[in-house]
Amino acid sequence: MAYTLTRATDAIATEDSRYPLNEQRRVEDPVKQQIHRNVFTGKLEEVLHSAVNWGRKNSLWPYNFGLSCCYVEMTTAFTAPHDIARFGAEVIRASPRQADFMVIAGTCFLKMAPVIQQLYDQMLEPKWVISMGSCANSGGMYDIYSVVQGVDKFLPVDVYIPGCPPRPEAFLHGLQLLQDSIQEERRPLSWVVGDQGVYRAEMPSQREKHREQRIQATELRTPDSI
Amino acid sequence: MSVATPSPDTLKTGPDSTVEALRQRFEEKIVLEQATLTGWPVLWVARDTLTEVLAFLRDKSQAFEMLYDLSAIDERLRSHRRGLPVSDFTVFYHLLSVSRNRDIILKVALSEDDLALPSIVPLYPNANWYEREVWDMFGITFQGHPHLSRILMPPTWHGHPLRKDHHARATEFDPYTLTVEGQDREQQALKFDPEAWGMRRRHDDSEFMFLNLGPNHPSAHGAFRLVLQLDGEEIIDCVPDIGYHHRGAEKMAERQSWHSFIPYTDRIDYTGGVMNNLPYVLAVEKLAGITVTKRAETIRVMMAEMFRITSHLLFLGTYLQDLGAMTPVFFTFTDRQKGYEVIEAITGFRMHPAWYRIGGVAHDLPKGWEKLVKGFLDWMPKRLREYERAMMENAIVRERTRHIAAHDTTEALAWGITGPNLRATGLDFDLRKQRPYSGYENFDFEIPIGHNGDAFDRGQIRIEEMRQSLRIIQQCLDHMPAGDYKADHPLTTPPPRERMLQHIETLITHFLQVSWGPVLKPNESMQMIEATKGINSYYLTSDGNTMSYRTRIRTPSFPHLQHIPALMRGGFVPDLIAHLGSIDFVMADVDR
Ligand code: SF4
Repeated sequence: MAYTLTRATDAIATEDSRYPLNEQRRVEDPVKQQIHRNVFTGKLEEVLHSAVNWGRKNSLWPYNFGLSCCYVEMTTAFTAPHDIARFGAEVIRASPRQADFMVIAGTCFLKMAPVIQQLYDQMLEPKWVISMGSCANSGGMYDIYSVVQGVDKFLPVDVYIPGCPPRPEAFLHGLQLLQDSIQEERRPLSWVVGDQGVYRAEMPSQREKHREQRIQATELRTPDSI
Repeated sequence: MSVATPSPDTLKTGPDSTVEALRQRFEEKIVLEQATLTGWPVLWVARDTLTEVLAFLRDKSQAFEMLYDLSAIDERLRSHRRGLPVSDFTVFYHLLSVSRNRDIILKVALSEDDLALPSIVPLYPNANWYEREVWDMFGITFQGHPHLSRILMPPTWHGHPLRKDHHARATEFDPYTLTVEGQDREQQALKFDPEAWGMRRRHDDSEFMFLNLGPNHPSAHGAFRLVLQLDGEEIIDCVPDIGYHHRGAEKMAERQSWHSFIPYTDRIDYTGGVMNNLPYVLAVEKLAGITVTKRAETIRVMMAEMFRITSHLLFLGTYLQDLGAMTPVFFTFTDRQKGYEVIEAITGFRMHPAWYRIGGVAHDLPKGWEKLVKGFLDWMPKRLREYERAMMENAIVRERTRHIAAHDTTEALAWGITGPNLRATGLDFDLRKQRPYSGYENFDFEIPIGHNGDAFDRGQIRIEEMRQSLRIIQQCLDHMPAGDYKADHPLTTPPPRERMLQHIETLITHFLQVSWGPVLKPNESMQMIEATKGINSYYLTSDGNTMSYRTRIRTPSFPHLQHIPALMRGGFVPDLIAHLGSIDFVMADVDR
């Protein structure tokens, strides 16, 4: 599996460096590289990574952050009918410092962008970003002077959820995809162990994964009955 | 309460006494009476008499208590304006008289090299934000304005977006980038400067604390910022800062066809769903001269009321959550889910169905809709009773909200407050009764009103409104008229599909209507409705094109937020949170 390595380079950020600041590079699975050197420590590291990741992915604390309409569907996912607690992500935090991931639920406004960046910077590592809805993904139907055409113009995004707005179920699906990707991550196990980069697995595209099955559908239901 | 409740009979047509009175008093200063489809007299007045005319209209005998709307239009590219006074930019003032149940629109012509007007803040306090918006969007200055600065765009912005020579698309200029330096600059620009607002930093021996509530705060209901000047827990003053949710919907309307703008309306008051389509399609239908069928009208009313309920449920959950009650939101969202089951089965989508069409609705009701609607009607009443019992009779809720952020009718009207927040003060003014549209006159329902105009009444009244909405939906269910769901009119968009394939003529029309969109005759029209949060209206100007020349969207939440400082000075922080919860606003309904 291919990985993306991100190293913190904040220290060398200059005035005109662009967000996202950290440098990214495509690499091989770092654990696999280890294996060639020493089978035992390689195995041990793999087990440790998967134990830590298992813990991380099942207790994701969302940041209570909403921008517009999509946020309503995101909150809907938090409430009884959809019950996000099933995925261990019900501990909503009002402070970025206590949250694990941030959902950009809504339109990324020009006036809001610096504020979003500020809030993202206040979150502590490990942290993730879900972009929810067409607006956050690409500007959506708002190709207009006051809207940033996609939050990935300045934030590193882990999962994109399509829809305008995505249904609460889609949000839950996105959350599970984030969990899957967290399971494959390689983060430093300690500040003295290994190199200090963050390795994120490149997860398969959902569109390609489901294409075969989706194009099988030839008959669509008419709106005449419920 | 000093304002008499109007009766629908006062709404009559014929020569308008106000116009007569104005002509007598101001003679040739009233330049022209423009014929439009807005339903109200539209008068062009000379700039130097504007303040006098407005003062005269606000006066007892004319009783235009409310400045309903104020905005402008860039006329420089408008081709069909024969007979109208020469003007590059026109500013309009829409006044509303609740006691006489009539409106009047005043227009003032401005030339490009002299874009200035006297500020009318001394007459109508809510003109403050409207004038700032006109300055921000058009670059027109208002002399004597207390704080003329940008309101929707960031302070670092250059240009005035609603001018015709300003670009519309983000993709017309370089892709957005955020640099370290840019980030610092923007953050600096967002810093609050008390002196600029005439605020003192300290008093006697204590220093005031300036606290940012927002732009992201759980109680701010979205991207809204309120800067508080605090002395301990007491709010000395506060400054609402909006514009974090400005999506340029009005500019967007100038490049979408009349038809393809419908989805954008859904996203104005995003909890209101198809309720937002209603004023827009009604205004377009006025321009096109379409009368819709009884069935289409009734379907529209039914779905709009469904959304009133889901919106009020969201309100109720978050309002109580702001007061510290964590459970209600779980209950109300369960009900919303039930509502969405009905909405989704009928319209095909949950939040933004964009389901109304010019001349009707997108498709007919599906088979079996009655059962679904009935299920919802059976489910809700016992839940509402439960909410009242468990929440509104709860001692903590009552203590936190009663006599909090209270205001009377006169104050509400002066600040442009409408909807349930206005009715909470005891005034019976609901457009569904006073100015019925889309067949509301055929329904039997009551308008709940409050007494104290406080945070409690604003909550209570909405529970009762849901009951009334259920009554309306019940009547739709019992008496759904048979017939077409679309009007038989050449401008109905898209035209009935069944007729499309019959001969080449219908096929061509269908093709043009769907690809280019209908062409509407040059004129101006407007429709107000009683939306979920107050009065929402679309003021459309057509220049005989497939697109609107100018679309002005008046939303209720904008003045509601403007009212906050006047109400909260001297209050306490927890009261402010209770008040914010009770206003029921979404930022898209403020910033558009
Ligand atoms: S993607 Fe659609 S629903 Fe989501 S914020 Fe944008 S307009 Fe609203």
